Amino acid sequence: MTIYAIIIATLTFGAIFSVLTLSLNLQYARGGMINFGTVAYFAAGAYAYAIFTQEPPSGLDQYRFGFDMPWYVGFLAAGVASLLFALVTGWPTLRLRGEYLALTTFAFAEVFHSLLLNERRIGNGSVGLANVERPDPTTLGMSDTVGYALAAVVLMLVTAFVFNRLLKSPFGRTIDAVHDDEIAAQAVGKDDARIRLQVFIISAIPIGFAGALYAMITTLVAPAMFTAEVTFFVWIALVLAGEKTIVGAILGAMALVLFQELVKGVPFETVRGAQIAASVEEIVTGILFILVLRLRPWEKLSKRNAS
Amino acid sequence: MSDIILSVENVAMDFDGFRAVGGEHGLSFNVNRGGFLGLIGPNGAGKSTTFNLISGVLKPTQGRVAMNGVELSSLKAAEIAGHGLGRTFQTPRAFPSLSVIDNVIVGSEHSEEGPLAALFGRWRPADVELHEKAEHALERVGLADRLHDSVANLSGGELRMLEVARQLNRDPSILLLDEPTAGVDPNLQVKLSEILVQLHADGTTLIVVEHNLAFLLNIADSVVVLQNGALLAEGDPDSIRHDPAVISAYLGADHET
Amino acid sequence: MTVFFQLVLTGLVTGSFLILATIGFSFTRRVEGFLNIAHPELLGVSAFTTWGLNVIWGWHIIPSAMVGIVFTAFVGLIIGRVVYDPIRALGPAILLITSVGVHYVLGGSVDAIVGTGIRSLDIPLAESYRFWGVRITNYQMIVVVFAALATVGLALFLNKTPMGLAIRAMSANPELAASRGIDVKSTSRITWLISSGLAGLAGVMLAVIATLSTDIAFNQILQILAVAILAGLGSLYAVVAAGLIIGVAMDVSVFWIPAGYRPLVAFSVVILVLMFRPEGLAGKKSR
Repeated sequence: MTIYAIIIATLTFGAIFSVLTLSLNLQYARGGMINFGTVAYFAAGAYAYAIFTQEPPSGLDQYRFGFDMPWYVGFLAAGVASLLFALVTGWPTLRLRGEYLALTTFAFAEVFHSLLLNERRIGNGSVGLANVERPDPTTLGMSDTVGYALAAVVLMLVTAFVFNRLLKSPFGRTIDAVHDDEIAAQAVGKDDARIRLQVFIISAIPIGFAGALYAMITTLVAPAMFTAEVTFFVWIALVLAGEKTIVGAILGAMALVLFQELVKGVPFETVRGAQIAASVEEIVTGILFILVLRLRPWEKLSKRNAS
Repeated sequence: MSDIILSVENVAMDFDGFRAVGGEHGLSFNVNRGGFLGLIGPNGAGKSTTFNLISGVLKPTQGRVAMNGVELSSLKAAEIAGHGLGRTFQTPRAFPSLSVIDNVIVGSEHSEEGPLAALFGRWRPADVELHEKAEHALERVGLADRLHDSVANLSGGELRMLEVARQLNRDPSILLLDEPTAGVDPNLQVKLSEILVQLHADGTTLIVVEHNLAFLLNIADSVVVLQNGALLAEGDPDSIRHDPAVISAYLGADHET
Repeated sequence: MTVFFQLVLTGLVTGSFLILATIGFSFTRRVEGFLNIAHPELLGVSAFTTWGLNVIWGWHIIPSAMVGIVFTAFVGLIIGRVVYDPIRALGPAILLITSVGVHYVLGGSVDAIVGTGIRSLDIPLAESYRFWGVRITNYQMIVVVFAALATVGLALFLNKTPMGLAIRAMSANPELAASRGIDVKSTSRITWLISSGLAGLAGVMLAVIATLSTDIAFNQILQILAVAILAGLGSLYAVVAAGLIIGVAMDVSVFWIPAGYRPLVAFSVVILVLMFRPEGLAGKKSR
């Protein structure tokens, strides 16, 4: 694997996962909500995209729906699907706090995963939907990989811009107030439950878009791609970067993806060697994560800069 | 003509079987529109709980609270605040992520605008009108030179004043203040009493919980005395000063000073 | 109808296993105050240690299992001391998130050492017994017996021994316990040993009744969470009822719907409980 390929892959997947960390950042660092089911919104987007763009079932296909729509309809559908899923899961659960919310969102994601795996009529069950339709960047004179790297970066930047605008607005002030002290926020007429739900839903939309883009890039959606490991991955990226800032959320995801790509890039003689490398990568990621949470270097750094 | 803005009817509140407010038959009292009610009683008499019941932070175990004839028990605290009820807390509550002035602005009606307005609306980060109004409120409570300070740097008394400013800025039609003078230095207390007198003159209904009776009985026009969660006495400040039950239960030596 | 009763019985065995797997998790939640997502990985540590000793080194199953359990208990203790204790002041959310990191480290370690593939212990084939038409194997009975022993043992320990009472005092109010002269450090050490040892026992049981693969540990987290939530986080005795309910619900559901939906049944229970009765079966608000 060349350096060029590593850079492109890091940009592409780093940007996609940045969208997820940005959303989590909004939910957790600003909204105070622990969403441990992030992958479900991502999967909802990816599946919605695939279902809206694929051809109607024929022959041996087990899936029931295929609308054969153009890619941009599928892309929009992905955002809507994620939004609706956030509405359905957020409305009953957001009165729960802290670890209870973490558990419920986790449970919802597992139920969703289990549905995708077992209900063949949605997306062929464990086989998934292959050959996902996608626009061809070469028509714009770009190579395939560059085109999608660019698309991912654009989605990331737009998400960052929108979230930044949201947080700087009067609504952002309200979000902070609710996060700081919901009783005091109620005393000035802020319905904390409603505001939390709004934040939850808004932050889910870009995750759906990211899911659609992920489906386009991999041209495959299958339950195995959307396990709880994705959620954990995004959390680790967010924590590595030191929470709270938009730039941090992006850098964390990029760094973690780069690390993975580098490990993948190392040539291995044997299958066992590759296996051990993958396990060691997991161990190192875990240790980094524990150390960052324990030492909180970024917080100390920002405090030093502030004073 | 006495027009009732707030009525508390047979209200009781139990915590784990312990009756914090209401006594045997429930607590009842009325507040006149534009009135200035002092709510007093010894520690643990249920004053702050009564505030929490009125403002919707707690829902009464029994009885009803109505504001302008609207029953409040089915409303959320935020909705009650939206109906024009403002309150402060016994322990001051500030938003530490926000600057002093943002702590005040966040309560103004304009920033009610939701996420769609935030994304597509034409808000400006520093709305001049909002700022001026909030600045004015902070000026009134003596925090004019702390606008962009972090609330972490405010003293306990200043936090109380910040809370008062946040509520003033919302122009509530009825304002509940929970021990506004506690920890506040004497100069500011004078300022505070001027503010309350001014609000009273402007027609805002006030309910004030206070331990500093010298402060309260001079400016309130009626008083409700609670003891063990039940109504002990009710009347104008003079009659309360001389009510033997009140004196023995609560005022005691304090009254002589 | 026999099929149905067979499923109920299998469900009770599954439930017994879930009790073993969950009780250490709930115990940690109760005493240390957080959800240890890495707890199921300890089942994996124990199962594969036992397997290594039993199959690779050729030990008899009983010493293998005992060493596996003790080893797991100490792994849990070391992690508790090194990772969680120093950050306890940061609150349950950070501890919960940290345990995801621990999950990675443990899972990665087991993967690296053991590798992929399906394994099973070197023990005699299960013998089955038949009562009124339903069958149960001797290994399944062992699981039920150990679940009962572990639960009763833990209850006796917590209620009858000075150390158990100290642990209960500490879980109720750490500061008060410390001021009353309870050695918080040693109590916490015992807690980690017990909860991890229980995970170790559950891991051995898993190795006895199921074939092993390295992702087996993670697959347990879902069911453990389901049982812990249904019981009411941190309550111990309700785990027995919750484990049996979830075990039976999952296995009996196979009577009507495809087996692939077993986890979905467990998690639907979780969602319903969290939405309508977040305090769980125990009924005590643990928030």
